[in-house]
Amino acid sequence: MRQTRALTQKQLTGGLSLVLAALFLLSLFIGSNPIPLFQAARDTLLDTPSVIALIFSEVRLPRALIALFTGATLGLCGAAMQGLLRNPLASPGLIGSASGAALGAVCMLYFGIGTMLPMALPIGGMAGALMATLLVYLLAGRDAGTLTLILAGVAINAMALALISLLLNLAPSPYAVREIVLWMMGSIANHSMDDFQIMLPGILLGWFLLIGTGRSLDALTLGEETATTMGISLPRLRWRIFLAIALAVGSAISITGSIGFIGLVVPHLLRPLVDHQPSRLLLTSAIGGGILLLAADICVRLFPAGTDIKVGVLTSLVGAPFFLYLIIKSRRFVL
Amino acid sequence: MSKTLFIALLLLICPLSSQASEQPTRIVSINLCTDQLLLLLADPSQITSISYLALEPTSSFMAEQAQQYQINHAKAEELLTLKPDLILANEYSDRALIALLEKLGYQVERFPLPFSIEGIQRNIARMAQLLGQEPRGEELINQMNQRLDNIAQQRPATPPKALFYQPNSYTSGSNTLQDTALHLAGWRNLAAEVGIEGYSAIDIEALLLAEPEQLFTSPYAPGSRSLAQHQLSHPALKRVTAGRAMIEVDYKFWICGGPMIADAVEQLHRSLPR
Repeated sequence: MRQTRALTQKQLTGGLSLVLAALFLLSLFIGSNPIPLFQAARDTLLDTPSVIALIFSEVRLPRALIALFTGATLGLCGAAMQGLLRNPLASPGLIGSASGAALGAVCMLYFGIGTMLPMALPIGGMAGALMATLLVYLLAGRDAGTLTLILAGVAINAMALALISLLLNLAPSPYAVREIVLWMMGSIANHSMDDFQIMLPGILLGWFLLIGTGRSLDALTLGEETATTMGISLPRLRWRIFLAIALAVGSAISITGSIGFIGLVVPHLLRPLVDHQPSRLLLTSAIGGGILLLAADICVRLFPAGTDIKVGVLTSLVGAPFFLYLIIKSRRFVL
Repeated sequence: MSKTLFIALLLLICPLSSQASEQPTRIVSINLCTDQLLLLLADPSQITSISYLALEPTSSFMAEQAQQYQINHAKAEELLTLKPDLILANEYSDRALIALLEKLGYQVERFPLPFSIEGIQRNIARMAQLLGQEPRGEELINQMNQRLDNIAQQRPATPPKALFYQPNSYTSGSNTLQDTALHLAGWRNLAAEVGIEGYSAIDIEALLLAEPEQLFTSPYAPGSRSLAQHQLSHPALKRVTAGRAMIEVDYKFWICGGPMIADAVEQLHRSLPR
């Protein structure tokens, strides 16, 4: 019996990874102009200076990589948060980490700090994400019910979004005001390899911190007391996960803007497939998040040229009805 | 006999005196573009007020000369207290304001935004006529033509490929001042060649595929930062132009079409690869 389950887990990650790889390749193929991709890849590897190599390595590759890493981060952090708070509605978007990160990045970018130090952007994002997450956690209290947590998240989200609007209205750049929507909805268009390199260290550090929290999260499903008797230090686990989320989500969002609902939807969709085990959900959700964001970004690019739809609009269009469904489902439980 | 002489004299004088009264003496301009033409062509005694934008050094070519005049913010009440005998506006100026001013009996003249040298010449000639300064208008047009002709004679046989790239990936296609100036200076405008008309966004892949040899940009708010402006530092842009940095051409040369286009054309010409 256990043998088949282990196999299923392997099959599941294997299958999802295949889908992820396929979407990553597809994402490289889709652009405003058809280019011979394999020749472009060869030119890039052989360092032949050609325009198609330039389009491949400096336009398409960073976009696909940013989609992959941001999606994976959001999926993974959503799963970790839901496991830690034992709350199906916890996710970086709903409890304020993402908008906090966007606020931190906005502070850095528009007021001249970002140009002095390239890493200022993700550092601002991390600080913002950590502060927002802690604030929600403190507001809601340790044993918060779903409703309290969501309300605290709504309050902090509203606060962060209002501050983003205020700052962008006050920013000296005439282009700043129009970028409010970009920070609120998120976009992965027009980024370069530099941007990817800037977000990468924080993301990897965050992922690294989350490795090995799976067993503690599994224990936590039995209740906090049981987990403590099993030798798990809850405050340490909490700090570790909050810090990991701040590092990873803060870095990703500081480049892409706040992309909604991936952290909420992906763990939910995949949870039945991993027998509701948080430890197995972490990796699966990371892959699922990458799949969802890559797919959404491909869809955005399939719209006719010139219709500049932000990828976050699409994920929210999918995510918001799902959120409603979750609320209705949880209400039925309560009643 | 003396009566007919008197009438004959009157007839002689009348056209003269009416011409003298045609030269307006309390001119108010409510738009940056008409401000600049006014400052270039009018006697200082004719100018009553110009718009506040005329003082902004990044937008206004005439910021220094503008300092001695009273400024306005194109508000109806403010304009009425100035008792203007001629109000100069742009085709995009607030329609409601202009309708109100015309209803109150003021003479309002609206100037189009030019996209070609002919358009600029027409605007100068019309402004000079309104001000009663035709000789100055002709002189200004001749000076501009002279400078443009000088450059036209030194244009390269095979013009290199260029493109204007602005924040939010905007570019200048056909029927723009930048297109006109690039051609006059001896460049090809790739944006027009890939089918872009007017001011529009260009996809970065399309830009790279066109393989520009030089990129130009006109910073609208130098020193400020945003994601839109961050796009200009995309590393692929520098690599496609073989390491040549983007050249900045001041925004004040284009924001309004005027004789300062010659400065822009001269700068573009100086940027040609040797």
